[in-house]
Amino acid sequence: MLALSVRQRVACQLFASTSSSPLVQTRSYATQPKKGQIVKQASQGFKGKKDTFSGQMEPAKKDKKMMAFQPLPVSQLSHPLFESDRPDTLNLQSFHPEMLTRVVESQALKFPHNDNDPFRIFGLPRNILVEFRLLSKPCSVIRSVTIDAINKLDAASEKNSKESRVVFTGPRGCGKSFLLLQALQYCNARDWLVLYIPRATNLVNSTTAHTYDMRTRTYLQPIFAYQTLQRFLKVNAPRLEQLRTQTEIEIERCPPVPPGTPLVELMNIGFKDQCHAPTVLDAVLAEIGKQTTFPVLLAVDDFQALYCKSHYRDQHFSAIKSYHLSMPRLLLEYASGKKSFARGAVFGALSMSNTTFPLPLELREALSLEYDRSYGPYVKRQRELVNYAHGLERLAVPGSLSVPEAASVFEVWMKDRAVPSKPNDELFLAKYSEASGNAGAFVWKGLLSSMSA
Amino acid sequence: MVHVLGVQLPDYQYARFALTAFYGIGHKTAHRLCARLQIHDKCKVRSLTPHQITELAAFLSSPSTSIPIPRFPLATPSYKPPPASTPLAVLKEETKKLSQRAWADPLRNIKIESEARRVVKDNIAHQRMIGSYVGKRHAMGLPVRGQNTQNNARTAKKLNRVDRRG
Repeated sequence: MLALSVRQRVACQLFASTSSSPLVQTRSYATQPKKGQIVKQASQGFKGKKDTFSGQMEPAKKDKKMMAFQPLPVSQLSHPLFESDRPDTLNLQSFHPEMLTRVVESQALKFPHNDNDPFRIFGLPRNILVEFRLLSKPCSVIRSVTIDAINKLDAASEKNSKESRVVFTGPRGCGKSFLLLQALQYCNARDWLVLYIPRATNLVNSTTAHTYDMRTRTYLQPIFAYQTLQRFLKVNAPRLEQLRTQTEIEIERCPPVPPGTPLVELMNIGFKDQCHAPTVLDAVLAEIGKQTTFPVLLAVDDFQALYCKSHYRDQHFSAIKSYHLSMPRLLLEYASGKKSFARGAVFGALSMSNTTFPLPLELREALSLEYDRSYGPYVKRQRELVNYAHGLERLAVPGSLSVPEAASVFEVWMKDRAVPSKPNDELFLAKYSEASGNAGAFVWKGLLSSMSA
Repeated sequence: MVHVLGVQLPDYQYARFALTAFYGIGHKTAHRLCARLQIHDKCKVRSLTPHQITELAAFLSSPSTSIPIPRFPLATPSYKPPPASTPLAVLKEETKKLSQRAWADPLRNIKIESEARRVVKDNIAHQRMIGSYVGKRHAMGLPVRGQNTQNNARTAKKLNRVDRRG
């Protein structure tokens, strides 16, 4: 019997509760009313509701009643078609840093699953989260640009992060976010300290609390800083336990933290009171920037959002600039080299599909990206943003997958029973040509949206 | 549920939308109010701190007598903040010195609830007192702004009167 195809899985997920298992059969409309609960049914015919103001009657809304169709309760779904556990047909090798050489180019490798999985703890960009929910195992294809990025990371592990500030560029759907995830997993497996911000737009789109601070003269974001601190500790706990502070650290309304204090104890001060979290996060990053035991990777997706105007407003309703918010300012300082890690790198990935936070002119010029419009010298560039974008290195992700890489992607989805029609070379080449090799279009608009029988 | 000046704000709503429950506050005024009280766009009413609720109630009870907020100084990219042990009094003094005078605040002129309804009533009463066409139409319970009365005009017939509810 055929198991559910990917599209059916997506439809089921729309009704499923949010849980960790890939397919959860819960449907609220299938539940019967509890005992003693009176279910009121709207009476038939025209019955008005009295309008107290004018005394006129208004017709009542008719309740929908499912007379002919009553869905089965979940416990009676015993047919193999509804089975949620499928045998593992995706036999992929695990993503191991030692394996990553030119030899494994165009091969699909599954991401390892462990307790301190950075994907689960830091979160993922939205489109990748959906993709990983559809796949039976989170995996990715190793491309030539992956090996280039890894070589850069190996070189950066011995250098200051000021010299390794890289931004992944490329057209929409070419695989920048995936490449950042591969770099993140590589660094995590290589015992780096990793800090990943999957959606930098959440820092500037007015979805987290902000409050003016007189000392730093910026708007602090205590809740976001608190959550970042928690996630950073959870992912890097074994490494952070070995580190200690090197200087005395002052925190508002708290006794100063002496040198030699374990870094975990310093972070606990931030956990006790959320309002201390921004100061503690700043201090923790400064301390790990001084140490040379572990290299540090700061990875930011939706990187261009840090250079855009935020949606926050100050008390006089003027827009707050991104560098006047504590979290974006912190990331911009590391991205621009004003603050640095003794060993490590700062990686960013642009998002070309976000129209609310499009790529700004200052970043575009810093990365020497071509544009069909020409901006003359009379268009105003914000001096502060030009300053923050200075020295960023560009790593261009190829716009199209090579044929072997696309074949690996096709094989992954084929083995996961995502392709509805018979998977053959003709289908593969047709979808590859339609997408012009673009990875996102090949998967979403080609394979998963295919209606061919 | 949060009660502010007699109006119930449901917990599950965004604060920026919930403030429109006040008569006289629309979406633009609500946005400005939230900005003044440092409430972000996606903040729900249940996440508001008691301090924010008190400030909101204090402001809305008398917007015209509220204390003007100065324009606080903002850090340049090269700004190095003083150490965290700096006393609060010193920080307040420095902030006060560098703060700029606030411009005219449109929020100080808003009128809500009973005040806003009184303004509408007074305007209609004035029109009636001076014997204008508008006043006569309100008194007759007919449309005021030149609409057709051969058909329709139901809303005007229902609502228009000299002591019209706002």
